[in-house]
Amino acid sequence: MRLSSRMIIVLTSIGLISGGLLVSVNSLTKERIGLNKQLEIEEAITQVVPGTKTSQKLYEEKDFAIYAGKSDDGRSLGFAIQTAAGGFQDKIILLFGSNPSLTKINSLRILDQKETPGLGAKITNYDSFLKFWENKDCTGALRLHKPPLSSPDQLAPSEVNTITGATVSSEAVLNCVNSSLEKVRKLKSEGKFGFEEKNAR
Amino acid sequence: MPAKSFEQDFNKGLWTENPVSRQLLGMCSTLAITNAIMNGVAMGLAVSFVLVFSSLLISLLRKLIPNQVRIASYIVVIATFVTLADRFLAAYFPSMSKNLGPYVPLIVVNCIILGRAEAFASKNTVSTSVVDALGMSLGYILALLILSSIREILGSGTLLGYKVLGTWFEPWIIMILPPGAFIALGLLIAAANLIERKIKLGR
Repeated sequence: MRLSSRMIIVLTSIGLISGGLLVSVNSLTKERIGLNKQLEIEEAITQVVPGTKTSQKLYEEKDFAIYAGKSDDGRSLGFAIQTAAGGFQDKIILLFGSNPSLTKINSLRILDQKETPGLGAKITNYDSFLKFWENKDCTGALRLHKPPLSSPDQLAPSEVNTITGATVSSEAVLNCVNSSLEKVRKLKSEGKFGFEEKNAR
Repeated sequence: MPAKSFEQDFNKGLWTENPVSRQLLGMCSTLAITNAIMNGVAMGLAVSFVLVFSSLLISLLRKLIPNQVRIASYIVVIATFVTLADRFLAAYFPSMSKNLGPYVPLIVVNCIILGRAEAFASKNTVSTSVVDALGMSLGYILALLILSSIREILGSGTLLGYKVLGTWFEPWIIMILPPGAFIALGLLIAAANLIERKIKLGR
């Protein structure tokens, strides 16, 4: 056999076999991988919208999704908004929950981040960051309180804490929550997602 | 094949040709993921899986693959095993897959694997290639284990996630950041060189 045809045959068959193998492995694991991601989101929704038994995706675009948290009898308990902030190194994927009228933030969870360990990465820590985000009044824009206070009770209802040495990360999360809330209100007023109708049914 | 030679092929990966301390191959993943022991071990196992199976397959196909397309063929074989490992981790160990992030797909370009394929598996029998790959894998895992232990203890004060140093200890955050990886790797290589010199002087 000529060398050139041998080269083509060998490389093509290696490519075909490996392609076939990958297709079958992908179809075997795809469902499970999707399930893992969904479970992670659902668990986070239950945390940010207390009392949630089932959740429903209402709206989705790139790096942005709105879910409704529902109780056993199908009553809507609030929104869970998944969004991405521009962090210090990479996107910070976060999820926060609000009441149905979008006037109060229940709490906030960080789903994925690559901030500096020991500084910006503290945004995932409950005691240094997340607990200062509970039950916040978001009728207006939220503000950052500097320097940080030691107890959530000392903060005004519309203020959240900074992390010392990681203002960039704290600000990124804050600005992202504020702009996402604006966006959700706008989408809601435009009737882009059906929350009320499904509720009434 | 005499047993003596099998032993030599296996042992050289552990010390005289250790991929990390001697050959300085695969530094990207070595530096990036050794911030905690669990990550180091998981990465070591993923690399071992890819290394052993691609060595096996490449030495099996060594007479079939024309010389001119060998590198392309090796990369396809390696990339296939890497993707298998990546999907498996994502499906069954989602949190580990998240910790290792892009470094699992990057095993494709880990020079240990292509290096062993080109320098060893393409010239040796299947059994010797597998023994060689196992030795190299163990050498890689051991090096990552040492590096990640040093970095986790000093950088977080924990060992496998358990607190081992008391509250008096203020973690050296630099050790879990990239500079800490270079410092720890430098010290590890220096120590390996020192021991090597002692051995040579003793002879």
